[in-house]
Amino acid sequence: MLFNKECKKILLSLTFWIYSILVVIMFAENYYSEAKYPISKPAKGGSDYGLMVREDPELIMEGASASLMSDFASNRYVCYPYGFYKAVSLDKEDRDKVEEYVTEITAWDHDEILKQIDSADVYYMEHGFSTFPGYEFESVNIDKNMTYERYKEIMADIDDILGGGSAYKVDTLASRYSLVPMTYEDAVKEYEDSISEDTVTGSLARLFSDYTGIDLAFIPVFAAAALVAADRRRKMTELVYSRNISSLKLTFIRYGALVAMMFIPVFLTMIAAAIQAGEVYGDEPLKMHYMFTTTTFWLLPELMVVTAVGMFLTEFFSAGFAVAAQGAWSFLSLMSCGDKLSGNITKFCLICRHNTLYDRSAFMETYNDFVFNRIFYMVLALVMVLAAAYVYHLKRGGRFNGIRLFGKGSLFRRKA
Amino acid sequence: MASGCLAKVVFSDAKHNFLIHYLAAIGLLLVSPVVFGFSGLDERLAAIPLEIISPILGIILMTPVFMPEQNENIYDVVRSKKTSHTLVCFMRILLSAFITALLVGGLSLYMRCSDSQVTARLFASALISALALGALGVFSSALGDSALIGYMVSASYLVMDMFLHSKLKRFNLFTFSDGGTQINLWLAAAAAILITAALILRKYRR
Amino acid sequence: MDNSIIIRKMNKYYGRKQALFDIDLTIEQGMFGLLGRNGAGKTTLMKTLAALHKKKDGKITVCGVPIEKEREIRAMIGYLPQDFSMYPNMRTDEALDYLGALSGIPKDVRKKRVNSLLRKVNLQEHRRKKVKQLSGGMKRRLGIAQALLHDPKVLIVDEPTAGLDPEERIRFRNLLCEVAEDRIVILSTHIVADIEASCEQVAIMDSGRILWHGTVSQLLANARGHIYSANVEKKFIDQIKREYIVTGILTQNEYTTVRLVSEAEPDLPNTVLTDPDLEDAYMYCLTKGGEE
Repeated sequence: MLFNKECKKILLSLTFWIYSILVVIMFAENYYSEAKYPISKPAKGGSDYGLMVREDPELIMEGASASLMSDFASNRYVCYPYGFYKAVSLDKEDRDKVEEYVTEITAWDHDEILKQIDSADVYYMEHGFSTFPGYEFESVNIDKNMTYERYKEIMADIDDILGGGSAYKVDTLASRYSLVPMTYEDAVKEYEDSISEDTVTGSLARLFSDYTGIDLAFIPVFAAAALVAADRRRKMTELVYSRNISSLKLTFIRYGALVAMMFIPVFLTMIAAAIQAGEVYGDEPLKMHYMFTTTTFWLLPELMVVTAVGMFLTEFFSAGFAVAAQGAWSFLSLMSCGDKLSGNITKFCLICRHNTLYDRSAFMETYNDFVFNRIFYMVLALVMVLAAAYVYHLKRGGRFNGIRLFGKGSLFRRKA
Repeated sequence: MASGCLAKVVFSDAKHNFLIHYLAAIGLLLVSPVVFGFSGLDERLAAIPLEIISPILGIILMTPVFMPEQNENIYDVVRSKKTSHTLVCFMRILLSAFITALLVGGLSLYMRCSDSQVTARLFASALISALALGALGVFSSALGDSALIGYMVSASYLVMDMFLHSKLKRFNLFTFSDGGTQINLWLAAAAAILITAALILRKYRR
Repeated sequence: MDNSIIIRKMNKYYGRKQALFDIDLTIEQGMFGLLGRNGAGKTTLMKTLAALHKKKDGKITVCGVPIEKEREIRAMIGYLPQDFSMYPNMRTDEALDYLGALSGIPKDVRKKRVNSLLRKVNLQEHRRKKVKQLSGGMKRRLGIAQALLHDPKVLIVDEPTAGLDPEERIRFRNLLCEVAEDRIVILSTHIVADIEASCEQVAIMDSGRILWHGTVSQLLANARGHIYSANVEKKFIDQIKREYIVTGILTQNEYTTVRLVSEAEPDLPNTVLTDPDLEDAYMYCLTKGGEE
């Protein structure tokens, strides 16, 4: 059967083994070494149970407004648009816009704002080679007519002006300004949430998927590109083109073989994770199927879409282009979660992160988006394979020869 | 005379075989301000973008040095000539390393002009990281006889390092981002060894 | 200075598999043909002579220089591999210029040589075309031009006419004969007609061994008295094929003329002893395993 032969071809390829080694190393060094410490029940009478997010509008408005005043005064806003530090200074026009918002929030007019800045505590902070005055505001006045809804709108606008990833991003307001100390009861509830709702394996499955999802967002593209480009490299293109198998069937068989083979090392690490869970939490009732169902639903669509996009781009452009494009996509997806690694799953992020054994409630809040996301990528994957098959079909009939970016007949030198 | 010929070979190579990689590297530098902030960073913060971008530049520029002769027939033709093919490959590696240094240097200067604390040691460290990862690409492409393998291994190493950092001990590429203040000579040695090994492998390729 | 290639007791291995066995050969100036089946070891021998492969033992000298001195050997040898390829994005003249630089030819000399060789191989009009746009024959001519760039004493061409149309093949052979006037040209092929039309000396290889070597006329003389033609009915053809080495079958109406190799006169109707052509002689040599 052709499917078996394609699987064998992949099994014998170097790219598959490099991919497998990476999956295993990342699993062993990240997940396996982290999951060996059991989640333990909080002890009563402890002094510190950590912090938890509680969306308290008053706290948020107070904290965010003080921070905004301070940033506005120094005109230096620290942002993380793609997870990397960026200090933004606004020009006059944007500064005026922010000032209008400050006025709306605080009910301070221009002169009052200047007065407040003059009386604020000043400290000097390093800014590269120079030092920079920072202003400290203990508290700022909040207009009593300001509603939390309007406040969030203002914050969204300011985040927009700053280019995103600022301290005023609506999604992160609560986790930034509204952290409250956990009580013993809160800590127990969080523990029981992790254990009782979906037993501890639910948490472990999320952490496993979080780590493995990072490998699967990029590295499979190499195996996909290598398989598609192999015919060309071995000068076998015409030979394969001339067979009577349909383009659709051939493309799907190759795609299926790639996904099936690349899922094997992931599946093996799932088994290892399940065995470890059995050992660490031997005394507790475990719903072991989560170690396979959650993880498969989380990871398989990602593997599918990365492989499909890799095949399509290699067929349409070239292997190099596919690798570069996938590299950029996965990097931006990875970095755009910033430092918030849980409760941050959106409808379209390629890499879904939940880098903790706790915080089940945050995951459940985004659960619908998560399900949508995974189904969306599964469908997109199938669409991309269809597109790859169509491009293959066109190339096979000599109606299309792929797009080259450079050289004669290329995108940049095509005559009008 | 010989050096003139070698210069011609290397120049011609750059124009016909590697130009697209140079353009890709420059393109990467041009779009990087969208993702990274380059102004007003202290040494450790400045190291973050520099130590991520530089190794990627190293991968893009150095990995493909053996790619033009991936086709065995071309390999036989160029190897039957008087000028040693190993020497030509070595010159290509030197040129790629030089362009990597130029681009990392350009980025460092830009950051310095933007009031970031890019010190000479940070520049040297970032460049060494770039060369080490590029050398890993060169070595693995020689071993697997395919530039794609070279890209795969070096990119995988970068991804791995982003998550394992200090677990990779002396071979962590993010020296200054992780709080170091010394140039990591282990990486420099690794780069030299990997390139030497790649050239030897290439010389005795069957 | 010595103007020959001398090979003595040379063996070559790929890993543990022996590819060449005790090769003993002397090749003088002029065209030298190396004939053999596919997989006989011709390319391996050619690559070893071009210092692209290392021998296991034995001795090879090229114009007095031992094969181990790779740099000197490469300066003397021009090599055209079986499947000639060049960087596809280079223009024809750029490719030659590049390869000339690899051969260490100074710029001004290179420029003149590139021009004259492009004329010689009839590629002058196509000099601005990219290598990937050249036809099979043009590519092969570019191949011979690159091998001649540094005016080598020895030219090694491996299966140069395979896949060429008859016109291109004749043109290519003539070109080789022209350049063989003042150097050694080793031509490896499994196409007997190429040897017949151009070589004085010939060696036959099989399974990594030299079966026979000498002049073309000696090869023909060996086969004389062993080539027959017979007119038989079509239905006997299969039986004849089983019993004899058949070198040609020509069907006319219900009768067929077969040409065959046989030690003694075959017991067939209308058998006539025929003058051998080189193809018959080659087949005879193969069946005899090189014994005279």
